Parts: sequence; structure tokens; C-alpha cells
Amino acid sequence: MDALPPAVTSLLDFLIDRINIGIFAVNRNMECTLWNRFMESHSGVASASVLCKNLFQFFDELPHKILYHKINSVFILKNFAFTSWEQRPYLFKFRHHRPVTGGVEYMYQDCTFIPLKDPAGEVQQVCVTLIDVTDTAVYQKMMKEAMTSLAEASNRDGLTGIYNRRCIEEVIMKECQRVQRYGGTLSLAFIDLDRFKEINDTYGHLAGDDVLRITSTFLNESLRQIDALGRYGGEEFVAVLPATDIEGAYIVAERLCRRLADIPVHHNEIDIRVTASVGIAEWQPTMSRYEDLIKAADQALYQAKADGRNCVRRGT
Amino acid sequence: MTMNNANLSIEQIDALQEIVNIAMGQAGDSLARVLNSFVRLSVPRIRLINSAQASQCIAEIVGDTQQITAVRQSFYNKLCGEALTLFSSEGCRDLATLMGHQTLDTETEKELLFDISNILVGACLNGIAEQLGADLSFSAPSLMASNVVSSQLLSPDTLPWAYALQVEVNFSLEQHKFKSHLIIMLAEDAITALADSLNYFIEAI
Amino acid sequence: MATPVLVVDDSGMSRKLVIKSLPADWNVEIHQASNGQEALALYREGKAHVIFLDLTMPVMDGFEVLEALKREGFNAFVIVISADVQPKAQERVKELGAMAFLKKPVKADEVLHVLKEHGLL
Repeated sequence: MDALPPAVTSLLDFLIDRINIGIFAVNRNMECTLWNRFMESHSGVASASVLCKNLFQFFDELPHKILYHKINSVFILKNFAFTSWEQRPYLFKFRHHRPVTGGVEYMYQDCTFIPLKDPAGEVQQVCVTLIDVTDTAVYQKMMKEAMTSLAEASNRDGLTGIYNRRCIEEVIMKECQRVQRYGGTLSLAFIDLDRFKEINDTYGHLAGDDVLRITSTFLNESLRQIDALGRYGGEEFVAVLPATDIEGAYIVAERLCRRLADIPVHHNEIDIRVTASVGIAEWQPTMSRYEDLIKAADQALYQAKADGRNCVRRGT
Repeated sequence: MTMNNANLSIEQIDALQEIVNIAMGQAGDSLARVLNSFVRLSVPRIRLINSAQASQCIAEIVGDTQQITAVRQSFYNKLCGEALTLFSSEGCRDLATLMGHQTLDTETEKELLFDISNILVGACLNGIAEQLGADLSFSAPSLMASNVVSSQLLSPDTLPWAYALQVEVNFSLEQHKFKSHLIIMLAEDAITALADSLNYFIEAI
Repeated sequence: MATPVLVVDDSGMSRKLVIKSLPADWNVEIHQASNGQEALALYREGKAHVIFLDLTMPVMDGFEVLEALKREGFNAFVIVISADVQPKAQERVKELGAMAFLKKPVKADEVLHVLKEHGLL
């Protein structure tokens, strides 16, 4: 490169020193040959003391192996190298400028390792630039959290807050695959509120909504941790009962049925009597698809309705 | 499609082909040293594509039903463009084993792919630039897509160029499933700068 | 009498570079081929006492040429010129009977050295 006029060189020196990016360089012995003000102020190590000294001597917290490997690869392959905060949040334990809102401990960093070649094309030094990407990292983290809650929301029924039909069918499918592959027992209970249309007609839709909300909360609280409850249709719920055979499912369903009938739903000073019909079925080795189990429980529910409601029937 | 009607002459293409050949050899050697395994190189293919054909071209290179993971990197200065490194999903697992990882979390796997991509892109493009008397800078590798069907990697509607020069190089390992495709793309404006550099090169012979 | 020299490479540019790197005072009669098949045909016509051979070529590559030459008695000095610079690639072509290996892009002083080393000059 042609020699630059003194005014330009001093401007460059000034820029390198004052720019809001960490810049440092090392030679083949890992001795520091450049250490700008950003590095000074964030590390607390003055340029005067680190220059011509082994970098690792000053920073024992540095991920020695990774950094050595990166710098060495630049010397050998004569090629750029990089580290990104997404894989490795930081190389240097620097404080960042968001002590209040950051929510992360150290400055997140993107580093670029640049080969500095002599006229013969040999790499004599490696220059490293370090960019503070804490803001980006914090925003990305916030976005990820928002995405997670969005995904969670799409699995929930808007009225009752329990799983929606799409999600509970997925649960049924996965549980069926599990018993198919690993054995064990699995039962389903289809729970349908009796004469729900009459409740709507007599007390109004708001009362109907309250009945659905309160009933689903009651059902959810009556089930075990490993069970799953979803809203399958208008007033139809489905409970997935892993590790439960048909006898166990019958006991659960009977209890739900009786307690539901005993405790009225309280809406605007009025007690509304609610009963439910329940169809239960157990996964059979002869079944090939999860739809078979749903069909068996649904048929049992139909039988419970036909037998006068407010009762439990088994499907096969 | 013939190259004759593009901005590059047959002589320029021939020179570029040879330059890429040599650069690719250097990239293969770098990869071989890192993976400690013999790397098989394909004959590099250079062609001019228009944006409507872009995704079809990618699908053709790796096979349309193949699930791929793609890493991209920019290069700039005298030559500018983007380099894509495509890995088959199966090859990624193979690569992990080769590098001595028993199990891999996604971040470590990403870092591994970035390293390999950076080696191939850097060695190949530095090799090209050196022969043409250019000096390049590179951006950090970033993940473009992971486990997508190859034909869905690029969406033609969003490509801001009409045609581009595509240089394709394939690397594979003997006795391993690992395979990677390096695709260097120069959009229309950048082709003129390349043509100038090639002219200097040809005149010097 | 001029030595028949065959330069085999699919790239015209590359053949030009090889020819340019040959010693100026070497009395040669140069033939060119752009793939292995053409190269073998010229070899059978006796137009190849020294062969500068590229490895990656369409139709028939350098490895196949070396194998064919081996079957046919190997009556030529083969100098492989390749961009594939992996040590293992060099070993392989030497196992197949190549006399020397030169890295691309070829340099005049390296060509001179190889020719002298094998008594061709």
C-alpha cells in the first residue's frame, strides 16, 4: 500500500482508538500488538501494560482453547474467522451498557478475526474486532419469548383456556403412538354436558359460557397431573388418561359424573344444575390408528346418551 | 443457455474456470487438513442463471427432495457477492462424528457448520481473489435455513437481481456420507467488475 | 530430433500456461488434447514422449489415463499438473506411475527443476 499522508494516518489512529468497537491484534506468539480504547475501558487493562505481552496472561477468563484455535486457524488457513454471540455469548467478560434492562450478565459479542499479511503473503498478525451486540441479543430474546407464548396461545381454547381440539388430538395421537411402541395402557373419556342447549335457552349464552368455563376448570382440577383435558366441540370435552385401563377410567369417569351432578354452577345469584354423559374406551392392541380409540369412546358416549344421560358407558 | 450472450466471453469463462479449479483445489486441501480425510472434488460448474431459475438450479445441484441446511456468507471489495454452503442433513450428522462429537446440541452443530463453511468459502474465494490480484473481506457466516427442501431455499420473488453468475463446486469425502456444495453467486452488477479483472489476467498470460 | 510433448487439459487457458512455462531452449514438438480419450489417441500415434496431464477433465479424467497407460506399457514420462494439491492426491498419482506432480498454477522454475531432475533436459 502507498504511504498515507500524515494527516490521514493520524486520523486513522484516532478512529481506531475512539471507535465504539473493540480492536486488538496479536502476533504469532499471541503477544498483543494493538489494544484500542474500547478494549482498555471495558477490560480495565491499559494498552501500555498489555502491549508486547501474551494476551492470555492478562485474561485467564478467556476461553483459551477456542480463542487459540480461532487465531491459529487464521495463521494457518490465511482466512477470516468469526465467533457469534448466538453460539458463544462472549469471549471477554465485559460489562454492558444495560445494567438495568439487559437481563444478561456480560456484554454479548460478535468477533471477527482478520489476517494481516506481509508482502510475501504470510500472515504475521491477526487483528480482532469485537462488536457489542447486547441490544440485538436482548431483542432477540424478547422476540423468542413472545413467539413461545404465541405458540402456547395457539394451543388453547379461547373460552375455557384448556387445550383446543387440534392440540388435544395431537396429544391423543402421540399417546397412542407411545402405547403402540412401548406398551402400557391408555384410556380416553368423552364428556358431554347434558341438555346444554336448554341451559343456553333458559339462562342465556353468557350463563352457558360460564357453565363451560367453570365445568372445564372443575374437570381439569379433578384430573391427575399426567392427564390432559381438551375442548373437543361445543359442550364436549375429552380427557386423555395415560397409564389407565378401562376399570381405572370407569372409576375416574363415575366420580366426575357424580360430583358434577352434586355441585351446581353458580351464575349471577342462580344455581344451574349440570350433568354430563361420559363415554370411555381403552386402547386395544387390535387398534391401528388413534382415530379408532376416539371412535370407540365416541360410540360409548352415544350409548350413555341413549341410556338416559348422566351416566358412564364403556366402548370397545 | 449459452454463456456467449452474457457479458462474459468464452475466453473469460475458460480463464475463470481454471481460476476456480485452482482455488477449489486449495479449498479441498484446507478441508482435508481439518477433517483429516481425503476430499473428492468435482469439476466446477460456471453458469449464468436468471432469478426465475435460481431455486430450480439449487434443487438440481443437490436433488429436489433432499433436506438441506444452508449457511451463507458475504464477500466484498473488488469482487462482491454471496457464497452459500449447502449440507445434506444426513451429512451434517456424519460431519459431527468425523469431528469427534458423540452428541451434538444445535448450537454446537451450527458452529461446526459455520467453521466448515468459512473454511471452504474463505479458501475458495481467497484463491480466486489472489489469482486476480484482489483482496477480499468476508462477513460472518450465518444460518440461512435448516432442514428445508432444497427447492424452497430461495424464493424467486424476493431476489433483487435479474441474472447472476453461479459458480458451483462440490466436495465429498471418501467412505463418508458427508457432502457439501459450495455455490458462489455474483449478481449482475458485480459481473462487470469480475470481467475487468479477468481481462487483466488474460492479458498477463 | 524434437521431443514430442503432449499437454492434456480441458482448459485452453491452462494448456497455454503450461506451454508458456516450458524452457525456451527445449527442442519440442507440442501436441494438445482436451480430454483423456484424445490424449490416449495421440499417445498411440507416438506423439507423447512427455505428457503434462491434468486430473479433472470431462469424458476421461487423468486417473483413467494413467490406468490406461499402465495397461499399455507406460511408454511415456507423465508429469501430473493438478489443482488438487492434497498430499494424498499426489501420492495416488505417483502410485499410478506418474513421474512428478506439479501444483497449478505451474511455474517455469518448477517445470525446469522437474525436467532436469529426471534427465529430460
